[in-house]
Amino acid sequence: MSEQAGTLLELTGITKRFPGVLALDDVDFELRHGEVHVLFGENGAGKSTLINVISGTFAQDKGRFVFRGEEVRHLTPHKARVMGISPVFQEFSLVPDMTVDENLFLGRERARFTLLNKRAMRATARQIIAELGFDLDPTRKVGTLSRAHQQMVEIAKALLTDVKLLILDEPTASLTEAETTKLFALIDKLRAQGVGIIYVSHRMGEIKQVADRITVLRDGRKIATVAADSVSDTELVELMAGRKIDVLFPRIDHRPGERLLDVRDLTLVSGAVREVSFHARAGEITGIAGLVGCGKSELVRAVFGLEPIAGGSVSLFDKEVSSFDPLAMLRAGVCYFPSDRVAEGLALARPIRENVSMAALDLPGFARGQVLRRTEERRAVQEIADRLKLRPAQIEPAVGRLSGGNRQKVVLGRGLSRDIRVFLFDEPTVGIDVGAKLEVYELMKVLLDLGAAIVLVSSELPEVLNLSNRVYVMHRSRMVAELTGADINEPAVLACFFREEPAAAAA
Amino acid sequence: MNDTTLRPAESSAGRSAAAFFVRYGLVIALVVMELGFAIVEPLVLSPGNLLNVLQQTTYIAVFAAAQMVVILTRGFDLSLGTCVSSVSVASALVMTSMVAADPGNLPSALAMGILTGLGLGVAVGLFNGFCISVLNVNAFVTTLGSFNICFGIATTISDGRPVFDVPKEFSELMYSGTILGVPAPVIIAVAVLAALHLLLNGTVFGRSLYIIGGNPRAATLAGLPSRRYLVLAYVLCSVLAAVGALMLTARTGSGEPNLGGNVTLQSIAAAVIGGVSLRGGVGSTYAAVLGAVFVTALSNCMGLARIDGYIQQIILGCVIIAAIFVDRLRTGAR
Repeated sequence: MSEQAGTLLELTGITKRFPGVLALDDVDFELRHGEVHVLFGENGAGKSTLINVISGTFAQDKGRFVFRGEEVRHLTPHKARVMGISPVFQEFSLVPDMTVDENLFLGRERARFTLLNKRAMRATARQIIAELGFDLDPTRKVGTLSRAHQQMVEIAKALLTDVKLLILDEPTASLTEAETTKLFALIDKLRAQGVGIIYVSHRMGEIKQVADRITVLRDGRKIATVAADSVSDTELVELMAGRKIDVLFPRIDHRPGERLLDVRDLTLVSGAVREVSFHARAGEITGIAGLVGCGKSELVRAVFGLEPIAGGSVSLFDKEVSSFDPLAMLRAGVCYFPSDRVAEGLALARPIRENVSMAALDLPGFARGQVLRRTEERRAVQEIADRLKLRPAQIEPAVGRLSGGNRQKVVLGRGLSRDIRVFLFDEPTVGIDVGAKLEVYELMKVLLDLGAAIVLVSSELPEVLNLSNRVYVMHRSRMVAELTGADINEPAVLACFFREEPAAAAA
Repeated sequence: MNDTTLRPAESSAGRSAAAFFVRYGLVIALVVMELGFAIVEPLVLSPGNLLNVLQQTTYIAVFAAAQMVVILTRGFDLSLGTCVSSVSVASALVMTSMVAADPGNLPSALAMGILTGLGLGVAVGLFNGFCISVLNVNAFVTTLGSFNICFGIATTISDGRPVFDVPKEFSELMYSGTILGVPAPVIIAVAVLAALHLLLNGTVFGRSLYIIGGNPRAATLAGLPSRRYLVLAYVLCSVLAAVGALMLTARTGSGEPNLGGNVTLQSIAAAVIGGVSLRGGVGSTYAAVLGAVFVTALSNCMGLARIDGYIQQIILGCVIIAAIFVDRLRTGAR
């Protein structure tokens, strides 16, 4: 086919905004016929927004979308499928109470004389499943299948139509080794037929195995598109984590004092954290680095009482913590700042004032018993807003009207509303602009000078490396290293990520 | 979510005009509606009729405020109407049987009747709140269930018939009586709504309801006792409904197993029309009252204009949907 070498999909200057976040910023992307093109990047880098734009779920705000040589406007998920764009998302779109073959033909049932032609559908379903080499019974109800099998149904469903472009979002996340091998064989087959495949994954090994080209996204921007055989794992991670030349990190004088937080052998019920020990001292920033999904976020969430703990101990100010819940931790002087501010941090419809004071309503400064002291509240919150340089410095507008940076300041303001000594920052600068980032860093500096202990969890390596006095590295639910002094550098951290890779692959 | 700061095309003048309509749109609509119907039927604007509308509003305002309390937390209460019925029947039964047993002791009969009604409200609210907050059953299913339970209680204890012979003194107390010329229902409604306003705006509990509705996970992270407050919200809702039920019982002079027929829909309609957001976290007593005035005035106008009752239902349905649409525009839902 002469098409083989040609361009299947060409995106130019794709921009997509969500409130307070620039999810995609002028992104170019090209997919050729018969190519497997991997999208690589941290959570929040814009990968899922991009595949949602390509599959018609979101409309881009700006940019050209050219599919098979024709510009496409007003794409909808249905239109995309008709054109041959089939996405397989991580969240399944299956009906649990229907059988496998019913799900496969959902929305495009075959009918003869208006009656459903069940036999024909079942036969086609069997044929497709056999072709894929999947071990699936078309008469089983989808709800009774394992996640891996549901994943297979999703893939089979995507392939049922005449696919020109297949999107696979972390397809191997729930597949076994053998099933993964089958999937890769299938990918090879589709590639040979000229199907373009967009493949989203965090797994280094498989990326190198399937990819023709890799596009790295970071903070909604396209960083680079590289040929898979010309790039090393380390280079890829560096591209993903990024060397921010546009952010100057402030100089921080660490003056480590007493241990305020001491975590020993912590294991979570979910298994996201296993036997992890670390401590944080007053007057220094303790960084926790790790790849997405390594458990670093769950670790600090558990300390704040948001994840059930299976074993281990947490001590604050030399006293062992007995009950883990946010109110007890706030009272003990610990505050957690979530990475996803819209989902967990803010009540967007409520005023800034209420969002700042909501973690301090048990204090006499804000309420006498149940009775709110609104004048004192207004004065205290205004003071915090001024300290954080909130712009504009009004405290009555709804938080939903603020930009990402200002929203983060509102969340951080909570830490100033009461006596907090231990600050747990979870990805504090995700989705905010450079100026606001600097202000967050400056705030950390101020907090340190006041004698606070700061725990900084971040996927942005330069941030952790430049700000921390000590850096812990987490990998696959475990703490694999503690770096201090001159050992805090990028190669040392990256080495930790790959050290165990071969052993795990062999297991 | 819509974010006006991200829309440079929208001028600040345009935004403030929009804000003006969001704030006063309903008042303007109300005035326009009254004037419009007045052309067809001048009686609409007669002092007697306006007073009549205000009197009727008192009941719906209390129910709308009750509904608003739980809508604030992203919930709603479908059982409100049948809760009203069961409170009406139960309190009437207690009063009539106590008076029958001991005619001399009227005050304690009235007191017991009122306490029974309020107590039943507490029980229904605890049940709803427990299922929703502790068992995590969603509000729709829970209150649909308690809708049936309350309906069953109301019809069983009354044998499906009205409970007559409610003491005249009860009706005087909560319906026909006046203080300084102000009718009792108005006094009760104003007192209850003012207390609710203070509770929502001046206490940690009230503030927490707004935050729980605005973002339940943020409320958890802020250390607020969300579960407890959520149960209390449903208790408050049902107790307010019970107050309204007692007022209605005093008006009809009997315990009515079908008293709350339309109340659920009316209360949700009034709250939403008034501007209480079904997405939670936005609303006020003022909004509930304004919505109640609008709903009452609308049906009053349509009645005077001799619009067929079934057509009225259609129009009310359309108004509710329009109000929800406006709410979505306002909160900028996607």
